[in-house]
Amino acid sequence: MKKATIFFLAAVVLQVLILLGVPARKAYTRATGRDVVLKVAPVDPYSILSGYYVILGYDISRPADFPNAPKFEPDEVIYAIVEQQAEGVWKPVAMERELPKNLPANRIAIRGRWNEWRINYGIEEFYIPEGKRDVIADDLRKNPTDARVDVKVDAQGNAALLRLRIQDRVYE
Amino acid sequence: MTPNKSSSFRAALKQELPAWTQEGIVTEDAAQRITTLYELDKLSKESSSLLAAVIFTLGGLLLGGGVISFVAANWEAIPTFAKVVLLLVLLLAFHLGGYWLWHQKGWSRLGHALVFTGSLVFGANIGLMAQIFHVSGEWYGAFGAWALGSLVMAYAARSWITGLLALVTATTWFQGISHEHPSAWMMIVPLLFAALFLPLAWQLRSRVLYVASYAGITFMLCSFAAERYGSGKYVLITMIVGGFVAWAAGEFHRVKNLRPEFGNPTAALGILILGSSAYIWSFHWWWRDRGWASSSSDVASPTFYWAIPTLIIALIGLALVVLVIQQLNAAGERRLLIFGISVASAILILCALIGGANRGDMALLTISVNFAALIIAAVAIAIGIMDERRLAFWTGTLFTMLLILSRFLEYETSLLTKSAAFTLCGIAMIAAGIAYENHLRRKEAIV
Repeated sequence: MKKATIFFLAAVVLQVLILLGVPARKAYTRATGRDVVLKVAPVDPYSILSGYYVILGYDISRPADFPNAPKFEPDEVIYAIVEQQAEGVWKPVAMERELPKNLPANRIAIRGRWNEWRINYGIEEFYIPEGKRDVIADDLRKNPTDARVDVKVDAQGNAALLRLRIQDRVYE
Repeated sequence: MTPNKSSSFRAALKQELPAWTQEGIVTEDAAQRITTLYELDKLSKESSSLLAAVIFTLGGLLLGGGVISFVAANWEAIPTFAKVVLLLVLLLAFHLGGYWLWHQKGWSRLGHALVFTGSLVFGANIGLMAQIFHVSGEWYGAFGAWALGSLVMAYAARSWITGLLALVTATTWFQGISHEHPSAWMMIVPLLFAALFLPLAWQLRSRVLYVASYAGITFMLCSFAAERYGSGKYVLITMIVGGFVAWAAGEFHRVKNLRPEFGNPTAALGILILGSSAYIWSFHWWWRDRGWASSSSDVASPTFYWAIPTLIIALIGLALVVLVIQQLNAAGERRLLIFGISVASAILILCALIGGANRGDMALLTISVNFAALIIAAVAIAIGIMDERRLAFWTGTLFTMLLILSRFLEYETSLLTKSAAFTLCGIAMIAAGIAYENHLRRKEAIV
């Protein structure tokens, strides 16, 4: 095989690797993580849609919802400890600066980053297909307190968004 | 003399050469030398028109868009794994199909267009992959990944248009990351891009990519200067240095006969950047109010970091000028042009430094910048006359008129004065045009 062809094939392989690299961490979290259900905070009805995705906030996004929230530096990494409740939803119970070890079975740590006005966990952007955009936006407007998300959380605390549920309707 | 390597000229030459050899107009040996000089054996079997390339590329884009739309229409019904496989198959189909047509079947334009479309599909796929897995992140990260994949592909496939795509996406990535993280070391990134894109353009003999690289790098440095320091003086100095280096590089190519086809467009870009910077700053209110002079209060780091890459490219520009001057021992007129551009650039930089430090008289600074702008216009006119390039001549003439008319409109002058200025400018332009065309005719008659 000619050198130029090998070089070309290597460039194609690089593009494939980059493409696979984009969702690699999320795919790993999806494959190895534990199921967690989080309550979606009411969304501003006037800015629900941003392009092709919905911006979601959670009750773990606001430091005020944690009993022991410290002061953060910009871009500081934190771990939100959530606990499974009887109804299945996981609620915030504590916040740590290091990944805690030996948590009880009904608790898990989710890795987030303080961005000066809220904590981001990498699960804030929910992409939706064009045909469903208005349906989901309407559903969120009409039922602001009934939205939940199913996420997976891996051993390092990274979270991956699976689906959005509003009452008995499921959006993936 | 610079050989005309436009594909239409080469195609015509290739068509005529056998007949000339047969008629005895050129010898077999001369025909062979012409073939080598103009690389006629590398001409594609296909139509050489740009239109064909554009049509093939548009066709490829529509094909890719059609497939992606078809997939998107059935998006929800497709399982995640199948979606990923579909995106990868689409990418491979464009790249491998294009390469096969290009190198195995001799359809170089169509193949090239498909490989380029493959890199566009690659960019779209990055967005789709992020959507499938709900990947959150900064928007510019996708452009960085796109730029990296496209740049490597441009080198591997020897595709100038993929290189151009990489340049555009890399510039977009830089805008995003330097806005979010305006740390001083970011100034090095445009220099790194220069080291990546200019050799690519050189290797591919692509004038478009070469000139676009200079323009892109100057734009990156300027926008970063604005972002990081929030001060107009750094933007102006960076623009001048960028334009000066582009112009010096163009002269270097032309005089040293190294990729001489890069010479004129690169020098033209340099003059365009210098001219437009001088024009923008030729209005007196820039030098009266000077709100642009001070840096943003929230930027505390020393400007020293900013100066390093700008100084490096300025030194490169000066080194190129020295090399050009050494080559031009006898040609006094050309030296005068080089002197003119160097003086104009120096005046503009000095005005930015003095005016930016809230010093210097407004009138003197305004007059100096206008004087520099007139030198740049004069150089363009002189190039038009010396090298018989109409575009340079008319750009210089129009620029001069624009400067004069702007001054008459800028200051409160009576309608009668304005009328006289417009009339004189019109007469001067017509007279200059007649004189120039006569000059060209006389030269043609001598030849």
